[in-house]
Amino acid sequence: MEGASSNGVLSKLSLLEVEARSRGSHPQPQQSRVKELKAKVEALKTKRDQLKAELQTHKLLQRLRLSEVNHSEEEDMDEDSESSRVLRLMARHSELTDLLRAHRLIGGYEVVKTHQGKGVCMSIATGYEGVYLDTYNLEMDTNPKVRISRHNIPPFIPLDTLAEQSDLQTGIRTFLDTLSQHLNAYVGRRQQLKLMKEQHKSVEVMESNILCSMLVLMFTMPEQVAVLCLLDYKDLSRCLPTQVKLDCEDEKLTDSPQWKKSCSLLLELPVHRALTAMKKMGTVV
Amino acid sequence: MKRGMKLLVGVLVRIPEEEEMMREENTEELEVLEAQIKHLQAEVKGLHQQLQEEDCRNITFNFEGPMKEALAFMCGLTEGEGKEVVVSKLEEEVEQLERKIKLQIQINGISVTRCITKTLDHSGRKEVQLFCISGHCSGLDFQVEFKLSEVQEHQRTVNELNVVLDSKDPQSFSSFLSRVEENNNLLLFFRTLRTFSDRCADRTRAFQHFQEKFPSVVSLPGGCRSEVMRLSHPELSGCVFFVYWSFEVSTEGAVILKIRLLPKIPEQALQFYSQPAGGAAEAFQSLLRTLGPEATIESVIRGVGLLPDAEPSS
Repeated sequence: MEGASSNGVLSKLSLLEVEARSRGSHPQPQQSRVKELKAKVEALKTKRDQLKAELQTHKLLQRLRLSEVNHSEEEDMDEDSESSRVLRLMARHSELTDLLRAHRLIGGYEVVKTHQGKGVCMSIATGYEGVYLDTYNLEMDTNPKVRISRHNIPPFIPLDTLAEQSDLQTGIRTFLDTLSQHLNAYVGRRQQLKLMKEQHKSVEVMESNILCSMLVLMFTMPEQVAVLCLLDYKDLSRCLPTQVKLDCEDEKLTDSPQWKKSCSLLLELPVHRALTAMKKMGTVV
Repeated sequence: MKRGMKLLVGVLVRIPEEEEMMREENTEELEVLEAQIKHLQAEVKGLHQQLQEEDCRNITFNFEGPMKEALAFMCGLTEGEGKEVVVSKLEEEVEQLERKIKLQIQINGISVTRCITKTLDHSGRKEVQLFCISGHCSGLDFQVEFKLSEVQEHQRTVNELNVVLDSKDPQSFSSFLSRVEENNNLLLFFRTLRTFSDRCADRTRAFQHFQEKFPSVVSLPGGCRSEVMRLSHPELSGCVFFVYWSFEVSTEGAVILKIRLLPKIPEQALQFYSQPAGGAAEAFQSLLRTLGPEATIESVIRGVGLLPDAEPSS
């Protein structure tokens, strides 16, 4: 062995070795940072490619939906038939979902088969002037005869009478149409009353019934003349009254043209709008 | 030994220098990577925005269930056997939907052929969608367009309703349609449309029935779907009655029947009729009120001497 010089070298060597070893257990911060960022870049690239594919799919689906061609009948001989097939299925799926939604929105009866085909559940949508209101449901057994089993139709709607009038066995739709007319008329009258209460706080509701087929109002004419108004809705399939009676103490008023005009307005227009028109005319305060 | 040591020391002395170089390269690489990341993040953000805009531009799609899996498939996220599952699940749901649609058309009597939805606004609690729906109901083509606002599953309202109805007789519908649009009464429009087409179907059936029963007397100059039925004497070609069976739709949506009888009898033939033919029209209306359309028409055919073996009424 060389003497002191080799000792010096050896000690330097051992110092470097220690340093190297310590570096081994804690990788260089720069190196790990690079790895981290590289991984992040890869992840972002994947995300970007995925979003691009999603966007592309969207655009292709839109083109399929908006084209006039009946794509479900087309035979496809594309090379990439697998994704083309999935795309067409997706377009058809979204088209059918939208069509079903349309049926519901236009007031179609939503039908669901129950009890392994032995029954059906129908939903009847109601609304008044653009506002969707209650939905009523009917469950019917179809075997052996068509018969209503359960429903949530209010008791003041003559369900049994209507069912008897239409032959359920042959014409469910006639029955449903009539029932829907009654339900929509009821809901319409109820909504009119609600709107009237909101829009005409000065008009007092003296009497009303749950079927909203009768309404007694009190409003004031100029010079504090109190008028009692009776609205009779005898035709339950309609939203407008069949009879209007106005009563007040001042006999002279009952012959005035304004009076007659008010009566005809109340017959022609929904009550909340008739009152608005009467207020405009100055008949009602 | 000395030489080996020299080499070893040489190598060890080089390491710090290389480290220095490496450190410089790393800094550069880091900068490049960081720039790449920024760029990619901006791209991803842009793509997210584009996807949102697509929803509002042409058609809104809903990706749930098998549709969601199919979308993942299209983005290359499905592996191997998973692909078959995606396709078969999607096919199954499509078949189910086709069955549902058939049932709906059957029970509703209305065929919806097209429905395009576009989301106009879904900020906050309110969602507004634009709907374009077209279809037909017993030969009448319709097209409706409206905005549907939904406030957090509370109230759904129809606004800005626009209705186009392709009807041979636009007059009978015009006042009803303008009232319906004014009040956004979408449901009333379709209820009335159904009733109208049912009444038209009743008329067609009645006309066809009469043509079959009295072929020598009854003819349908405009076809069985028209408003007119012609009753003529098989021998006296000049004696003709026209039955006009039309409908009027009130602003409330009631379908009103209007049946008129128009006799066209030449002067000479009038002598065979004890009652002036003009009275026939009024008699017809009063019969209508008691017997209804079909029975009234039948009694006209029998009673007015149009059948070959019947005696002219005296």
